[in-house]
Amino acid sequence: MATLFGRVFSGSDEMYRLAQEALDDVSKRFADSEPVAFPDTAYYLACIYAMSGKKITNLGELKEIMEWIKSQMTRNNKTHDIFTSGVATACAAEVIEACKYIGNPDPYGHDPLWGHCTDAEVRELGVPLVTGDIPGFVVFIGSAPTDEQALALVKSYQSKSVFVFMVGGIIDQVKRLGMKTGFNVRVVPLGYDLWSVSHVVSVAIRAALIFGAVQPGDYDGIRRYTFDRVNAVINAFAPVDDMTVACGAGAISLGFPVVTNETENMWRVPKSLIIQEDVDKFVETSLEARGIKIKITNIDIPVAFANAFEGEIIRRGDMQFEADGSRVDCLELVRTREASEVEDHKIEVIGPDFDEFEVGSKISMATIVDVAGKKMQSDFEPVFERKFHAYLNCIEGVMHTGQRDMIRIRVSKDTYEAGFRAKHFGEVLYAKIKSEFDVVVDKCQVTIVTDPAKVSELRKEANEIYDKRDERLLSLTDENVNEFYTCIMCQSFSPSHVCIVTPERLGLCGAVSWLDAKATHELDPSGPCQVVEKTGVIDEEIGKWDSVNDAVRKYSQGALEVVSLYSIMEDPMTSCGCFECICGIEPFSNGVVIVNREHAGLTPLGMSFSEMASMTGGGVQTPGFMGHGKHFIASKKFMKAEGGVQRIVWMPKALKDQVAEKLNATAQELYGIENFTDMIADETVTDDAEALVEFLTEKGHPALSLDPLM
Amino acid sequence: MPFKNKPQTFSAAIKPVELGTGDKAITIGGENVLPLYSFDAPIENAPKVGVEISDTMLETAPARLKEFYAGCETMADMAKKAAELPGVSFICLHFESADPNGADTSADDCVAAAKAVSEAVDLPLVIMGCKNNEKDSELFNKVSDALQGKNILVLAAKEETYKAVGASAGLAFNQKVGAESSVDINLAKQLNVLMTQLGVKQDSIVMNVGNAAAGYGFEYVVSTMERVRLAALGQNDTTLQMPIMTPVAAETWGVKEAIASEADMPEWGDVEERGVDMEVVTATAVLAAGSDAVILRHPESIATVSKLISELM
Amino acid sequence: MALKGLDIFKLSPKTNCKECGVPTCMAFCMKVAQGALPIEKCPHMGADVIAKLSEATAPPMKTIQVGDFKMGGETVLARHEKTFVSKNLYAVSVSDADADADAKLAEMTKVDYERIGERMFVEMVFVTYAGNKDAYVELAKKAAAVPGRAVILDVNCPETAEAALEAIKDAKPVLNGATEENAEAMNALAVKYGVVLGVKADSLDALYDLTAKIEGLGNKNLVLNASTASIKAAFQFAVEIRRAAVKNTDRTFGYPVIVNAAALAAGDKTMQAALASLFTLKYGSIIVMEGMNYAQALPLYGLRQNIYTDPQKPMKVEPGIYPLNGADENSVCAVTVDFALTYFVVSGEIERSGVPCNLLISDAGGYSVLTAWAAGKLSASSIAKFFNEMDIAGKIKNRTLILPGKVAVLKGEVQDKLPDWNIVVGPTEAVQLVQFLKDYK
Repeated sequence: MATLFGRVFSGSDEMYRLAQEALDDVSKRFADSEPVAFPDTAYYLACIYAMSGKKITNLGELKEIMEWIKSQMTRNNKTHDIFTSGVATACAAEVIEACKYIGNPDPYGHDPLWGHCTDAEVRELGVPLVTGDIPGFVVFIGSAPTDEQALALVKSYQSKSVFVFMVGGIIDQVKRLGMKTGFNVRVVPLGYDLWSVSHVVSVAIRAALIFGAVQPGDYDGIRRYTFDRVNAVINAFAPVDDMTVACGAGAISLGFPVVTNETENMWRVPKSLIIQEDVDKFVETSLEARGIKIKITNIDIPVAFANAFEGEIIRRGDMQFEADGSRVDCLELVRTREASEVEDHKIEVIGPDFDEFEVGSKISMATIVDVAGKKMQSDFEPVFERKFHAYLNCIEGVMHTGQRDMIRIRVSKDTYEAGFRAKHFGEVLYAKIKSEFDVVVDKCQVTIVTDPAKVSELRKEANEIYDKRDERLLSLTDENVNEFYTCIMCQSFSPSHVCIVTPERLGLCGAVSWLDAKATHELDPSGPCQVVEKTGVIDEEIGKWDSVNDAVRKYSQGALEVVSLYSIMEDPMTSCGCFECICGIEPFSNGVVIVNREHAGLTPLGMSFSEMASMTGGGVQTPGFMGHGKHFIASKKFMKAEGGVQRIVWMPKALKDQVAEKLNATAQELYGIENFTDMIADETVTDDAEALVEFLTEKGHPALSLDPLM
Repeated sequence: MPFKNKPQTFSAAIKPVELGTGDKAITIGGENVLPLYSFDAPIENAPKVGVEISDTMLETAPARLKEFYAGCETMADMAKKAAELPGVSFICLHFESADPNGADTSADDCVAAAKAVSEAVDLPLVIMGCKNNEKDSELFNKVSDALQGKNILVLAAKEETYKAVGASAGLAFNQKVGAESSVDINLAKQLNVLMTQLGVKQDSIVMNVGNAAAGYGFEYVVSTMERVRLAALGQNDTTLQMPIMTPVAAETWGVKEAIASEADMPEWGDVEERGVDMEVVTATAVLAAGSDAVILRHPESIATVSKLISELM
Repeated sequence: MALKGLDIFKLSPKTNCKECGVPTCMAFCMKVAQGALPIEKCPHMGADVIAKLSEATAPPMKTIQVGDFKMGGETVLARHEKTFVSKNLYAVSVSDADADADAKLAEMTKVDYERIGERMFVEMVFVTYAGNKDAYVELAKKAAAVPGRAVILDVNCPETAEAALEAIKDAKPVLNGATEENAEAMNALAVKYGVVLGVKADSLDALYDLTAKIEGLGNKNLVLNASTASIKAAFQFAVEIRRAAVKNTDRTFGYPVIVNAAALAAGDKTMQAALASLFTLKYGSIIVMEGMNYAQALPLYGLRQNIYTDPQKPMKVEPGIYPLNGADENSVCAVTVDFALTYFVVSGEIERSGVPCNLLISDAGGYSVLTAWAAGKLSASSIAKFFNEMDIAGKIKNRTLILPGKVAVLKGEVQDKLPDWNIVVGPTEAVQLVQFLKDYK
C-alpha cells in the first residue's frame, strides 16, 4: 500500500524528471547564454528566487539550479521532507514553465490561458487581498465530476469575491458552459498542464516579497508570511495523481490547505489535507479550512437600512403587527455553538410567517442567533444581544425596544407591504453580526420562531441562560479574574484620564463594564480598552498594583503615576468629565455624599453636582472626591480602603431608590445592617451639614463611629 | 545664585522619513527636542515648507496668486513655477477636482497630471486627494504605481482606507504613506499601530493628525500635536514617533476671513492679505505645536514661514 | 506644588460659618485650591495659616496687573495639562521719532470687534523712546489718552522716564526700562509711581541676575523682556523663562514676558503676524507689533481665543437663528448644538453648499452633539423648549427641520413635540452636509 510519503516523493521525482526533459529539449535549440525570464517581473523565477535566493537569468543558470532543486528533495521520511520536496516540486514545475518562455514572450496567448502573472497583476491582486476586498484565492486542479458542478463552484467563489485560479480540465468545463474568464473577472485559467500551477505559487511568493518585504532566500520568512497573510486554498479533484499530491505538499507547507474528493490512497491531515467527498460542499469546507471570512457589503431586505431610521416611532394605527414581550412570550438570545453546529448564513423561520397574521395582532417571537468562532467567548453573547436594539431599529419601519424576554417590536404596514418578512430580521442580524464582530464570529445562523408553543418552551431555556449570565456577573470579582482593562475612550475630552475597569468597578461613565471592556479589546485589539494583567500587588486592600500603575502612567502619557482603585483618599482614580455620579467626603459626619448628574440641587457639602464636577474632572487626582458609575455604589470595592459603603451618608432620593436593592444587599452582607438606605439622608431630609449629622445620629448611622477619614 | 539653564533634550527622537530622490530628496523628523527648541539641541532636519498646487485653486485665487501662476496651463507648468520659490522643499499636488460630487476628474487623468509634474520638476512630491474615500483609494493606488521609484508621499490613509492605501502605496509600490486622523492622540496612535500591523514600515509613515484654521477649534489641533510630541519624546512611545506633516492651506483658504470679499467686509481690508495672514498664523502655530512640515499655497506665506524657520534654526 | 483642597481644609476652622459667602468650609477650601477664591476671604483663618497657605498656593508665576489687564499666573507649560489663565496681550508700538505717531494711535483703535462673546482689540500702546524727551512725554500723554488701553513706557533713560511717568501717572503705565546700568534708579521710579517695572538684559544669565537684584530691592511687580537681538534669541528667552518658572519652579523667572515683534521684524507686517502667532503659543505675555490691521487681527485673535479656552469649558455660541446663504423665513431649518466648534464646522459646510438654510443653535450647555445627547442636554424636550422660547414657528414659515444624523434616535420624539414640522434626519458628519443639502433642494 502506498504511503503519503511515498506519493509525495514519487510525484516530486516525476516533476523533476519532466523538468530535466524540458531543459534537455530547449538546450537543443538554445545556448546557455540564452536569456531566461518571465515577462514584467523584477523577481526572476520567483519560486526559485525566493526559496534559494538565486537569480536565474539565462539557460545556463537554469540548468545549474537543478542540482539545488534535487538537494531539496530530501528523503528522511519526516514531515519536513514532505514539505521541502513539495516546494521543490513547485520549483521544478517553474523550470518547465520557464522553458516555455525561452524565445517566446507569451506562450499561452492569454486567450483564455494566462500562464505567468506579471508583477503589476500581483500588485493588483495583492492590494485587495490585504484589505480583505478579496478575502482569499482558490486554486482548482483537475476536472470536476460534471461541467455544471464546476461552474457552480467557480460562480460560488466568484460571488464571494474569492479569486479563482484554474489548472487542468476545469478550464474547458466552465468554458463549455459559456463562462467568461480573465484577470478582470477574477477567474484565471493558468494552463492545462499541472506544472502551470507554479505560476500561482509564484503569485503567493511574490506577495510575500512585495507586501511582506521578505528577503529572497528566507524560506521560513516566506512560509510565515504566506501562512499568516495569504488566504489561499487548493481544490483538487479526483483522480489525484502523485505529482498533484507532491504539489499539494508544497501548498500545505506554505499554509494553504488542500481540499479534495479523492478517497483512494488519500490521508486526512487535520487543517491541511481535507477529504470532502461532496464536491458541492467544497466552497464551505475550503473557506472554513483556511479561515476565510467573507465581507458583507449589503443587506438583502426589501426596505432601507440606515441610522436615519433609528428614531422612528411606529404608532398603533400604522402598525402591521407587534411582538410584545410584556403580553406574550418573546425573546432574543445569542448562543455560542461549535463550528459544526452552525451553518453559516442559514436563516430558518419556525412557525407562521408575517403574512399569516391579522393586521394589528400581537405575535410571539423568538430571535435566536447561533454563532461559532475560534475566538468566540460566551461572555460576548450579551454584548451582541444588546446590539440587536440598534440593528433592528435601523430597519425602515421597524421599532424595537427592550432586551432579553422583555422586548417589543413593531413592524409598520408600509414595511410589511414592501415585502418584509421574518427571514429579513435574520438577514439584518446575520449581516450586522458578521460584519461588526468578524474578529470573533466565523459562522452565524439565525432562527426566527413565531410558533407560540415553541417560543414558550424556548423562553424557559432562555431564562436559564439569562440567570446563568447574571450569576456569572455576580460571581465575577476583582479577586477571581487575572486581568483588568483600561478604557481611554474619553481622552479627547480629558487628556490624562484613564479608567481602570474591573469586574467590581465599571467605568465611571457607567457605560463600560468589565465584560464590555473585554469584548471591546477582543474586537478592536488596538483600541481604547487594553489588558492590564493583575500583577505586582502592592496593597490589595486599597487596590494598588504595579501593573495598574504602569498602565495608568503609560496611557496618561506620564501625567499620572499611581492610582489606588479602592480608595478615595489616597491617590484616587481620576475622573474625566462624563461620570454618572460624584462622591465627596463630608467631614462632619465622617462619611461621603454621592450626587448624580441629574440632581440639580445642592448637597450638604454646600456644592452642587456641577461644582463638584468642576473640581474633580479633567483627569486630575483630587483626594476626597471621585467620579464613578451608578453601579459602583453597591460594589464591595466602593471606597473599600476607607471602610466601604457604610461611609455613604447622603444621596439624592431618586438615586437612592435606584440603587437601594443592591446597596442594601451589600450592606447586609458586609456589616449585617438591614435596610441600610433608610439610614442615608437625601434632599427631602436635608441639604445642610448640621442637620445631616443630627439625622445620622438619630438613625445610628455607622459612619459616625468609624475612624476619622482624615 | 546664577540661572540654572536646564535644556530639555530627550533620549527618544522622532523617526526621520525621507521623501523624494536624488539631490532634492528631503528628510523630515529626527529631532529629540520639543518643536523649534533648537537652543536645547541642534535640530538636524529643519521643518520643511511645501507648496500646494490644487487643480481647482486658480478658479477662486486672489489676484496676486493668480498673477504668480499667470500663463500656466497645466499643473506641471504651475509646479515648475512653484519649484523656483525660495524656501520650497516639496510640491503637494491636491486633486480636489477628483471629487465624484464635483468635477469628478478621473483617477487616470490625475495620474497623468502627476506624472507630468514629476517629469517637470525634481522636488519630492506629495499627493492629496479629494476626501472621497473610494476615489482617493483608487487615485493613491494608481499614482503610487505610476510614480514608482519617486518616493512620493500620499496624503493620506485614514481609518476607513488605511488597508487599501497602506497596502498599495506603502507595500506594493514602496512609497511613503500619510496617516490621517482627526485631532485625537489615541486615534492617531491607533492608526499608526494598524498601519504598522499591516506591514507598512515605521519609516514610511508620516502623520497628519488633523488641522483647523486659527480660530476654528484650533486648540484641539495644538493640544493633539503637543501631546503626540510629549508622548513620542517624553514617554518614548514608538507608535507616535512618526513626523507630522500638516496641510495648512487646504484649511485656511476656505474660511470666511480668507474669502469674504472686500465689498461684503469693507472694514476688513485687502482679501488677499487676509488670506496670507490666516495661512501664516496657522502655519506658524502648527509648527510651534509639533509639525515637521507644512503645506502652504501663497508665495508670500511661503516666503515668510520659510524665513521664520531658518531664523529659528 | 499647588495644594489639594483637603490639605487646606485640614487647616480651616471647620465651622461652616458661611461668612466667606460659601455654604461650607469644604466648599470654600476646594475653591481656594482651584484658585477661584483667595484664602484671605476666610475671616477665621489664623495669620500664620494664611501666610503658610498663600505661599503654598501661590502660583509659580506671578500674576501681574496693568490697568484692567492681567498677565501671567500660569501653572502649566501646555494647555492640555490644565488651562492657560491669562491671555496674552497685544500692543502697538509708537515712538517719538515716528512722524505718523498720531495716525498710528488713531489706527490702532480701528480693530475692535466681538468674537464668540469676547471683545477683540489692541490692549496696549508701547511707547518707545527715540531720543527726543519732550516729544516723548507728549506722545506718552497722547497714548494715555487713548481710551481703555494700557501704556508701556519703553524708555531706558531715567530722566525721561520720570518726566513721562509724572505726566501720565494716573494711567499707571508699565515702566519698561530697567537695565544693568540703571536698575536702582528705574526701580526707585517704579516704586515711587507704583507701576510695573520691565526688566531688560542681553542674555538670560544677565536677565536672571538683574531680576534677582531688583527682587532684592523689594520689588516683585515686574515683567521681563525677551531679547530683541534675533528671533531665535527671543524665542529662547520666552521658552526658557517660562520653563524655569513653571517646570523648575524657579520663581526668579516667575514673571510675564514682553516680546517686541516690531523690533524683531521691523517693516515686515507678515513676519510680525507669524511672530505673534509663535509667541501666542509659546509664552509671550505682551506681544508688541508695529500695527494691527484686520488681516493680522482676525487670525491672531481667533488663535488666542482658542489657545486660552479652558479645555474643560468648551466655547459656546449664542443660541438663536443664524440665517446662512441669504436664508429667509421660507428656507429650510437645521438644528444643532451651541458648542462653538460644532457651530463653526456646521455653518462652514452649509455655507460651502450655497443652499439657503436657517441654522438653529439650541442651548446644549456647550457640548458637542453626542456628548450633549448623552448628558441629556440635547433632547426632544430641549429642542421643543428652544423652539418655544425663540418663537421659531412664528419667525420661520418653512416647516422642514433637519436633525443631526448622530441623534437620529430623537426623530420620533421630536416629531411628537413639533407635530407641524417635517423632521428630516441629516447626515452624521458635517462634511456630508454639502451633498445632503444640494440633494435635498
